[in-house]
Amino acid sequence: MWADLVKRLARYPSAVLTGLDGAGYPFSLRCVPEPDSARQVLRLALPDYANLQAGPASLLCHDHDDQLWNQTNVVVRGALEQAEGAWLFRPAQLLEGAGAGMSMLRQLRDGRRAAGRYLAKRGLARPRIPWDQLKAIMARARKS
Amino acid sequence: MTVLSIPAEVLAVFHHFRTAEFSTIAKDGTPIAWPVTPLYQEDSGTFITATSIGLPNKAFNIRRNPRVALLFSEPKASGLPAAPAVLVQGQAQVDDTITTLAGLEALWEKIYRFQPPGSQISSSPLSRYLMDWYYMRLRIVTVPQRIAWWPNGDFSHPPQVVANVG
Repeated sequence: MWADLVKRLARYPSAVLTGLDGAGYPFSLRCVPEPDSARQVLRLALPDYANLQAGPASLLCHDHDDQLWNQTNVVVRGALEQAEGAWLFRPAQLLEGAGAGMSMLRQLRDGRRAAGRYLAKRGLARPRIPWDQLKAIMARARKS
Repeated sequence: MTVLSIPAEVLAVFHHFRTAEFSTIAKDGTPIAWPVTPLYQEDSGTFITATSIGLPNKAFNIRRNPRVALLFSEPKASGLPAAPAVLVQGQAQVDDTITTLAGLEALWEKIYRFQPPGSQISSSPLSRYLMDWYYMRLRIVTVPQRIAWWPNGDFSHPPQVVANVG
């Protein structure tokens, strides 16, 4: 996972780190993780004011074009640690998000299956999508 | 609800940023962020977003733990080159019922305005068949508790804060 993670993070200029603050709320900020391949951790320069707690955390990298299309994203689950006065992120799992090619086809398949499971578990019929009303909203959005 | 005193440059971020990083807390306690396009409602001071039942983890997480955060840190295409980064921490509620449109009209209009190619999703019978689940949504309302912002998106200095918002 480590080599894949380093390769993917390198595609983005920065990442969103999310940890928990002292009140138990998610706290996010932008940072530039620096891979430490010897220890297989990411070094983070985090400001002191952040009040982030050591423990579970994640990193998100994402991008889109000017039309909010061609979206790519990846999430890394892991843990925040403090060692010798520095913050480290220890990765545990890579979650693939939006992307092009096979990734998109896989997401279409997985989304359809997950929705089917959600409905089946609750004994719900598949909702009908009001395509005409959505089309009218699209037309309105184009004019605004 | 307390009337907010949110600076104009922060409101501009809420309205013009294409995405925000929306964090919920997973079953094992890990806070996880994914990009979303939220709708800020100035009359109620709340944020509306929605997740498809094909990607329901955000909803499951909120039902277990309502603490959430929205970080606005990606100004691309917003027309706000020197915008602040803004973090909204709050409590979220997710509807039990699935909606395909009701309660999300303004959100869909905002998404379509930002994302013209999104109309491809409903452009043919095949794409409608493959993507119908995308429109089966659980509506999420986030009530802010604390709003922090970093001028020019510079995280190296402490943010300015409006606390005890909701």
